Amino acid sequence: MNNEFRRKIVDMVCKGRDGHIPSSFSIIDVISILYRDFLKFNSKDPHWEGRDYFILSKGHGCLALYVVLREHGFLTDQDIANFCKKGGILGEHPDSTKVPGAEACTGSLGHGFPFAVGVALGLRIQNRENHVFVLVGDGECHEGTIWEAANVSNNMELGNLCLIVDWNGSAAQLMPKDDLPAKWRAFGWNVQVIDGHSEEEIKKALGNVHFSSRGTPNVIITKTVKGKGVPMLEGHGVWHHRIPNEEEYKTIMEALK
Amino acid sequence: MSMKKMRQQFADTMLEVGRADPKLSVLIGDISHFILQPFARACPGRFYNVGICEPTIISMAAGMAKTGLHPVVHTIAPFILERSFEQIKLDFCYQGLSGNIITVGSAFDYSNLGCTHHCYDDFALMKSLPRTQVVYPASPVEFDLLFRETYRNDHLTLFRLPEYQHDQVIDPSLIKFGKAIRLREGSDLTIIAAGPQLKNAVLAKQQLEKQGKSIEIIYIPTIHPLDAEMIHQSVSKTKRVVIVEEHNVFGGVGDDVRKIVTDISGVKLINLGIKGFVREYGTYEQLCAEAELSVEGILKAAGYGE
Repeated sequence: MNNEFRRKIVDMVCKGRDGHIPSSFSIIDVISILYRDFLKFNSKDPHWEGRDYFILSKGHGCLALYVVLREHGFLTDQDIANFCKKGGILGEHPDSTKVPGAEACTGSLGHGFPFAVGVALGLRIQNRENHVFVLVGDGECHEGTIWEAANVSNNMELGNLCLIVDWNGSAAQLMPKDDLPAKWRAFGWNVQVIDGHSEEEIKKALGNVHFSSRGTPNVIITKTVKGKGVPMLEGHGVWHHRIPNEEEYKTIMEALK
Repeated sequence: MSMKKMRQQFADTMLEVGRADPKLSVLIGDISHFILQPFARACPGRFYNVGICEPTIISMAAGMAKTGLHPVVHTIAPFILERSFEQIKLDFCYQGLSGNIITVGSAFDYSNLGCTHHCYDDFALMKSLPRTQVVYPASPVEFDLLFRETYRNDHLTLFRLPEYQHDQVIDPSLIKFGKAIRLREGSDLTIIAAGPQLKNAVLAKQQLEKQGKSIEIIYIPTIHPLDAEMIHQSVSKTKRVVIVEEHNVFGGVGDDVRKIVTDISGVKLINLGIKGFVREYGTYEQLCAEAELSVEGILKAAGYGE
């Protein structure tokens, strides 16, 4: 699934000489389906008041966001070509002051989620019915602010908020006691655990989310594989922040045919 | 003279402004809960005691600003400014979002609580970031007027509410954001006073006048941006300036004044502020005296007794 997006991601990294391929591959499936089938937006008017918000708290996965924003007309081919180039608007973390459709500047982990909680609260205060989606990494869940925001969201009954956790096993490399579903249940959230690379499960889980201005917040924990789609990239090895050489590029593209 | 507490004025101003502006929303970090109840009742759904999680409060406030609200964050200075500095930098300032942080417990207002509850680098931290403003009102009317003037402009504004006030009556028409106030005119020495230290500045002036000296007092309710024009004009005349501020001498008002007067020849500048960690316990006044933030300190700095 989404091999075309994955190929574009690899091309951006090779041309821009920078970027996180595996972290983007683990979230491209859920992001692409979210934008294609669920999120309300207007790429001609990114600040449209009626839009839903998507905040990529795990900012280093931004290549997945960029290729999806390109797909839906927020970005141009030239924007993509200028990734990590001087004068371009796309860097290794999304910058809301430059990128149409990026709702927050993220990269320092643990910021985007509480920011999204504020967006959800702000929308509710104004009786606006927009939905707020936010994606965090499992490694990012080591940040204290994630759990501060989890606690606040539940106590404020932010039923207009849906969190997606990219459970690709990065966190367990360091802290193996990592029962994320139990943690989120303990914080009082509606928890779904799915295969984050299954279109059917992603669509079902997003469709299951019951949004309300006041209710229990929702979390979809997506079990994913870092580098999913290319065996050479999968897992937690050297590929986290590495640029493929010519031969590796060919191997990757072959796998993504 | 019985004066309304700064914190009470904060609550009263929130109530009045909040009634008129449905976009004003208040997040607190578990202080001032009770005095803000009138606001909470008058503005339902716009008051939240978020608890002890200051970085999250800042990020949330930035998110609220993203939706068009005018957020006000209120809690104790070191926790909301020092602990949450990265959130202030990235979530508000870099992203160009606007809001208001209203602190108590700056400098060593919580004198006996020790270093964990002191905060005397707040001016420096805020000034180091683009799109910030710093307001230091040391009487209730100053807070009320300056908050109304600035709370929904295009900046992140810190209001540092001191526990103690100066005792001067200031013509409200002089209280304007970004403007210093020349409270007394003189020709021998300029005293630039921030916050409650105005009280000591006025007492020092009285003593210096007995020695035949003519003292100019400039009071600065706005710390950033500083009123460079008035300060430059005054120091050009007196060539002698003492700055008295409850802030670290690094990055405080004194550093800004030094830059402002750099092109004036023959200036003698003394900066009375906090140097290093304050480790003593005692009353606010005792800690002020320890840091030479006192009438005696100003007289010594003025240098006429030499």
